Amino acid sequence: MYLLSSGFRRTLIFVLACCGALLGAEETDADRLVEGAFDYWRGTASIATVEMTIHRPDWERTMTIRAWTRGQDDSIFTLLAPPKDEGNGTLLKDGEMWMYNPKVNRVIKLPPSMMSQAWMGSDFSNNDLSKSNTLLTDYTHEIVGTEEHEGKKVYVIKSMPKPQAPVIWGMQKMKVREDYIMLREEFYDEEMRLVKFMDANTIRPVDGKLFPMVWIMRKADTTGEFTRLDYLELAFVEDLPDRLFTLSSLRNPGR
Amino acid sequence: MHFQLAWRNVWRNPRRTTVILIAVIIGVWSMIFLNSLSRGFLVDLEENGIATLTGHIQILAPRYHQDPVVDNRIEQTAEVRRLLQAELPPGSVWAARVCVNAIASNARHSSGVTLVGIEPDKEARLSFIGGAVSRGEYLAPDDDIGILVGQALLDKFETKLGNKLVLMSQDTGRQIGSRAFRIRGVFRTQLEFTEKQYVFVVLPAAQKMLKMDGAVSQYAVLLPDSEMVDTVAGRLQQAAPDDLEVWTWKELLPLVKAYLGMMDGFIFIWNLVVFVAMGFGLVNTVLMAVYERMREFGLLKALGMRPGRILQDVLIEGFYLLSLGLVIGNVLGFVSVWALAQTGIDLSAVAAGSEYFGISRVVYPVLAAKDVIMADVTVFVLGLLVSAYPALKAARFTPVEALGRT
Repeated sequence: MYLLSSGFRRTLIFVLACCGALLGAEETDADRLVEGAFDYWRGTASIATVEMTIHRPDWERTMTIRAWTRGQDDSIFTLLAPPKDEGNGTLLKDGEMWMYNPKVNRVIKLPPSMMSQAWMGSDFSNNDLSKSNTLLTDYTHEIVGTEEHEGKKVYVIKSMPKPQAPVIWGMQKMKVREDYIMLREEFYDEEMRLVKFMDANTIRPVDGKLFPMVWIMRKADTTGEFTRLDYLELAFVEDLPDRLFTLSSLRNPGR
Repeated sequence: MHFQLAWRNVWRNPRRTTVILIAVIIGVWSMIFLNSLSRGFLVDLEENGIATLTGHIQILAPRYHQDPVVDNRIEQTAEVRRLLQAELPPGSVWAARVCVNAIASNARHSSGVTLVGIEPDKEARLSFIGGAVSRGEYLAPDDDIGILVGQALLDKFETKLGNKLVLMSQDTGRQIGSRAFRIRGVFRTQLEFTEKQYVFVVLPAAQKMLKMDGAVSQYAVLLPDSEMVDTVAGRLQQAAPDDLEVWTWKELLPLVKAYLGMMDGFIFIWNLVVFVAMGFGLVNTVLMAVYERMREFGLLKALGMRPGRILQDVLIEGFYLLSLGLVIGNVLGFVSVWALAQTGIDLSAVAAGSEYFGISRVVYPVLAAKDVIMADVTVFVLGLLVSAYPALKAARFTPVEALGRT
């Protein structure tokens, strides 16, 4: 309808055949938007340097992180600064998560008990990182509205978890621009109260495509607490080697 | 004649006799009352322990008791089933369980819990959960997504009946197994710890989530009579396949067992302490009664009464005092225990402390025959022994000595 003309044409035929299927066709579009947004966000593979600022009412802490991602499942992060934490790393692979601490020279695989804890003290939980792509598999999506942003159309997508899906949220809402840039992601509990939300802004062209350079995650029921990600460098690449996403690479990042 | 004489002697000074009677009564009453309280705590501790998923006997996979993880599981379920059917006395209840640590989370909270996969029908007769569901409903055997949680957990998670709870735990492939459940029922127990710690799902759901392929963590057995525990456990251990371990509740709850052993000693010492206080009063009173009647004893001696008779006389007086005090004390004890048993003792005010020991919010006193008998026998025998001292004094008075005093 709005995005994919072939999809629209198929939809149209379908609508002619059966009017009641219109809703289903819309859902398909919502699915494509979400998947497109994820693909756009992660790229096929990317290398980035990110500054993460954890802000609390009485303190603030900034870390610099180097991140490699590939596809939807594999990513590896290593801390560059502050010097005290340099070398701390996180590897995400196939939905599992390992962390490395150079001071004790140990790699630990995160047990289930730690998955809902905060990642490095930020407002992101380990689950947010390791299960970000469950949005594609465990939810059904529906377009519930449209907005305008910098002259482009923005779709508001409501994502409801599938009945048996092991996800804690009652609902997620996303705002995806027509060029697949995700502007906002909201997490709701089962009473449909907002729990936390992430905003993406400062959209700039980088490495040939537009990308939001600042991400802010906030909890809904606190003020003055947030975690901000500032992309300092970002490059999209065709592919990254397998050896990058291994435990030994976690110990010796970037090699 | 002796008895009549002694009875009249006892009431020659009613005020003094009443005072000593009150001492005996309070002593006996406090023994019975406090013993029944301690016994109540103990019984409560034991029952809580056994009902809180311990049962009388458990069959466990090797190392499960040291490390209750999914790796230590019982695969040979058919054999254990056959064994239990063959060896258990009639009237026993047994059920299989999956019991591992897990993480429960919803949108706002997460916390460590013990995931218990149960066979709902059998478990209802085996542990507390059968009668504890206060809102919502108990699990149906085919309820694949239902979960029972405690009221305290529900409050802590700020959630309600019908809402979702996601459980995560390590599965047999060492991956993270997770599954969403719907809160089907809420249970209340005496211990807040239990409400916060345990969540119940049906056995197949837990097995599926942890990829256990029909294996279970444990078999729990409740016998019709707790006295049979050791013999039945011995039989099971001999017939158990391979290296499966058979544990009795005394081994599973060593602290409770230690308390039980300690409490018998404690009760005895308490009885002794009460008696020592009471005994001095008794000796003093009888001794005074004896010295008061010195001239009388001298006269009896002079008339030819033998010392043994005098001894007997005074002892019978002590016997009357003790018997009367014991009867009234016992009656008072029974009545007050009965009165207290109607309401129980509400420990809500000190719930945090009592829960630390695994004691309920409301404790009911328990009268055990052996405690009552021990209290009575202690008072009676030791009472007679101490009244022997003034009796001997009385028997030794000579007429001359008696004349010398006024």
